[in-house]
Amino acid sequence: MIRTEKVNFRAGDFGLREVTLHVRAGEYFILMGPPGSGKTVFLECMSGLRRILSGRFIIGGRDVTALEPRRRGIGHVPQSYALFRHLSVEKNIGFGLRRRGTGRKEARRRAGNVAEQLGISHLLGRSVEGLSGGEQQRVALARAIILKPKVLLLDEPVSALDEATRMSVCEELKSLQSKLGVTTIHVCHNREEAFYVADRGAVLRDGAIQQVGALSRLLRKPRNEFVARFMCCENICEGEAVRSPQSPSGCMVRLGQAEFAAPGQPTGKTKFVVRPEDVRLSRDDQSAPAGGIRVPVRVAATQDMGMYVRVEVQGPVRLVSYLSHADYASLSGRVAENLYATIAPEAIHFLGDWQVRHEERVPETEHLEKGQTVIT
Amino acid sequence: MKLQSVNTPVRGRRSKLLTAAVFVFLVTFVGFIVLLIVADALYINRNAVIEVLTAGFIREALWLSVWTSAATTALSVIFAIPVGYALSRYHFWGRTVTDTVVDLPIVFPPLVAGLTLLVFFNQTAMGKWIEQDLGLKFVFQPKGIVLCQFVVSASYAIRVTKSAFDGIDRRVENVALLLGCTHWGSFFRVSLPLARNGIIAGGILTWARAFGIFGPLMIFVGSFRGRTEVLSSTIFLEQSVGHLEVALAVALLLIGVALVALICIRLVGGSAMGQP
Repeated sequence: MIRTEKVNFRAGDFGLREVTLHVRAGEYFILMGPPGSGKTVFLECMSGLRRILSGRFIIGGRDVTALEPRRRGIGHVPQSYALFRHLSVEKNIGFGLRRRGTGRKEARRRAGNVAEQLGISHLLGRSVEGLSGGEQQRVALARAIILKPKVLLLDEPVSALDEATRMSVCEELKSLQSKLGVTTIHVCHNREEAFYVADRGAVLRDGAIQQVGALSRLLRKPRNEFVARFMCCENICEGEAVRSPQSPSGCMVRLGQAEFAAPGQPTGKTKFVVRPEDVRLSRDDQSAPAGGIRVPVRVAATQDMGMYVRVEVQGPVRLVSYLSHADYASLSGRVAENLYATIAPEAIHFLGDWQVRHEERVPETEHLEKGQTVIT
Repeated sequence: MKLQSVNTPVRGRRSKLLTAAVFVFLVTFVGFIVLLIVADALYINRNAVIEVLTAGFIREALWLSVWTSAATTALSVIFAIPVGYALSRYHFWGRTVTDTVVDLPIVFPPLVAGLTLLVFFNQTAMGKWIEQDLGLKFVFQPKGIVLCQFVVSASYAIRVTKSAFDGIDRRVENVALLLGCTHWGSFFRVSLPLARNGIIAGGILTWARAFGIFGPLMIFVGSFRGRTEVLSSTIFLEQSVGHLEVALAVALLLIGVALVALICIRLVGGSAMGQP
């Protein structure tokens, strides 16, 4: 549905580099990255609000690169919602229809319908001044979807909302998107928000795509250290990998004094990640889960994070484990206590070039060449 | 006098001192201006007031002041909108120099503007072509008053209008483009209405400047009774022949007209000049 091919853009020191993406028809796609990574610029380039140096944007099989913004069939909800302060809510929503030649009465009727769909009928006669963040967000969304766009671009649509409202609005966005069937790209830098609305996404850094794929894959199989850190993986370890004569599809990893077998075939100095929720802690060797790599550790710090407890332990390497409150209570691992950390071999994921070569064989994500990714 | 509203933070004793200090300055300034006007009013006598209210030449000067300053304001706003928009939205070669040139008339001594116009129309080929071949006479003509006022005051309108366009979030204009507007449409349907208050404020400043201008007019159009004499020139002429009471009465008339006009514009323009 949306295909961007080797898009390059430059503005001063910042630019987009060879951005190639493919978003399926009707898909809810997430574009993530830290502030300043180029997410908004990418959306603006796709909308035709910025002129790209090279590359192509293809929407619904049509090359829209040279088209004016109004001819691209894109609905855009910018970060600050950008409502027209001089118009009422009703006129904001019907603005696009009126500009496209719809009569005043018909525009009012359709604005009323969309407002009802989004639960903002009671706001129609009001000025946009004084609307709450959530109301403004709905008005901006109504204004975008009333034109039945082929593509909906949402630039951090819930960032101005409080935590509780954010998740309910995300739910509404997801259900509205599936009802309308509109292909959607949602920009955010919040991992939880991403998982709430989408199945697939991409991580952008300094204007270049780092990885694209299923969100679970970005979380558990990050392509590089940046993606791992962005997806809040706190356990990034460095070890020495050697081929294992016992297992042709695995390797042996030396980590300080410890040595363990792991799946994958990296060689030499290598980095690997383990999700904190995959690090199990136990009081003694016997109560540790069977199988996996088991190392003695000492509790360095604990922190109640509200939903879970973060336990930092020091063993051959520093590890972080996220425990449920119940697990933590049964463990009662206080600072300086000795415990055992167990990691299942399949929870270990190697980073670096080896990983790139490995991912080339994964059908979901297809790498054309270094720095360029296509999702199909 | 209630200075604190429900929307202001709770104040301690030191904060109240700040409020007191700023109000001392405010009252001093406003009081001084009012005192000057009152002093003028006390100086004039009944005969002077009657003369000002009945003399035909003063009515003509008043009318000339009103229509020329209104025409100047309209002309300035017509220029200020595209010029302010260009300076706000386009980044072109020589933009800084252009921006500075736009501001130059603000720092010109007003007399220089009159002299420059006189030299342009009397000494340059282009000026002579405009006056003689095109037949557009400005020197010592009522049209010259508008031109002179425009040169001296249009920069104010441009500066304020540019600031108004600067204050508009580009994303609002971008959304309009995506919703079906052309760049023209986005300008007329979004940018212009949103800059409305700034444009009105620019118009007010221009009018205020144009209405009271005197020096450059004396040089460029002179002060011919019934033709190029505006209220400010009447004040000068009357005091130069020793009619100080009449001069002050005309000054009070000028101040009164300006006061009424400014209040009306503020009421119509709403928040343009910071009114709630």
